[in-house]
Amino acid sequence: MMDDLQFRRSIYADPNTTDETVSKAKMADPAKKQFAEELKKLDLKIHNAMHIDVPDDLYNKLILRQTLASHQQQKRRNRIQLAMAASVAFAIGLSVNFVQSSNAYNSLGDYALAHVNHEAHLFNNNSNAQVTLASLNQEMATFHGSFTQSLGKLISSGECEFGGIKVLHLVYQGKTQPVTVFVVPPNNGLDFNADFTNGKLHGEAQQFKNANIVVVGDKNEPLEQWQQKINKNISWSI
Amino acid sequence: MIKKIFGNKSEQAQVSNNMASKQVRYEALVRALHGDLFRYGYWLCHDKQVAEDLVQETFLRAWRALDSLKDEKAAKSWLITILRRENARRFERKRFEMSEYDEVSIADTQAIGNEQEMENYLLREKIAQLPEEYREPLVLQVLGGYSGEEIAKQLNLNKNTVMTRLFRARNQLKDSLEDEPMFRGQFN
Repeated sequence: MMDDLQFRRSIYADPNTTDETVSKAKMADPAKKQFAEELKKLDLKIHNAMHIDVPDDLYNKLILRQTLASHQQQKRRNRIQLAMAASVAFAIGLSVNFVQSSNAYNSLGDYALAHVNHEAHLFNNNSNAQVTLASLNQEMATFHGSFTQSLGKLISSGECEFGGIKVLHLVYQGKTQPVTVFVVPPNNGLDFNADFTNGKLHGEAQQFKNANIVVVGDKNEPLEQWQQKINKNISWSI
Repeated sequence: MIKKIFGNKSEQAQVSNNMASKQVRYEALVRALHGDLFRYGYWLCHDKQVAEDLVQETFLRAWRALDSLKDEKAAKSWLITILRRENARRFERKRFEMSEYDEVSIADTQAIGNEQEMENYLLREKIAQLPEEYREPLVLQVLGGYSGEEIAKQLNLNKNTVMTRLFRARNQLKDSLEDEPMFRGQFN
């Protein structure tokens, strides 16, 4: 059996309690039952007092605030996406540039070998074509240089480019394969290598006053002699 | 790659679909619970404006974290937890700015009309005068309809403590009301 204090404590703590001992105590004692009823009434009053009015516009304010906040978030997300797209585009731009420039060679020898390889099929060692010394020297004028004697049978002369640098491209008849001579402007920013090879072809280069001259031929070609001939025959006007 | 970043059309539709359903969920939650939250906030701080701010902050946080709410039945407790935290933050922020104020003087300015309202008015004052540690479980029980166990969990107390505080809260309210002429004799 519940004593009065215990009963009151339980009712005070929760007037709506469904505790079995509390219910039994109420049944057994009309005074307790009345006390419990009073407390329920008090609780109803407390509830009514606590149940204050909610501002009418609060619901709308809450929705509006959230809409604005998520709009801000969306805008920020869009900005981030735009920034990401921009940096992707930028990175692509950079790497295209990088690939392009790294595709290019940076030494004289690399360019020379690449050109010879690339154009090997264009020239026949036994070709009948011949370029005169005079027309060669016309082209050499850009370098302020000229040859006093022809180095050999000049099959072809033309201009080509080593990574943007204009180069005079001469093809002579060689022992078994054509011999290619490049006249390259000095201070061209390319690494100078006096001799180089790719296994099949080899080359030698000399630095002159107004140009670097590169000779490329196959293994049978005495490049040294070619360079000596060039040395002897070339003259510079400035 | 760019497609991946921007998402393709159907993904976008999916996202906006999710956004739309999140919106619906949120609005339902606000509609159902903003009143309870406001009242709860009011009884924590006795200031309608502050209570409104608390509710705003609470629902904004709730929006951001809505995906973490798995069980809609737990929504009210979840929101109350957020609101209590916001209220605590308010004290951290304002501790040095806010002068001590007399809570009793911050009464409801609502015009007092009939006897019922008069009674409510007096009772509100008494509730506001209760120590916070008694008032908070009482609000949770009376307004929130929570059991002793649930209140204990929410307030991080043990159940006996909660029941003792509820007992004292009602006891104090009853005593103070019996001092008022209007209520005298009603609860004897």
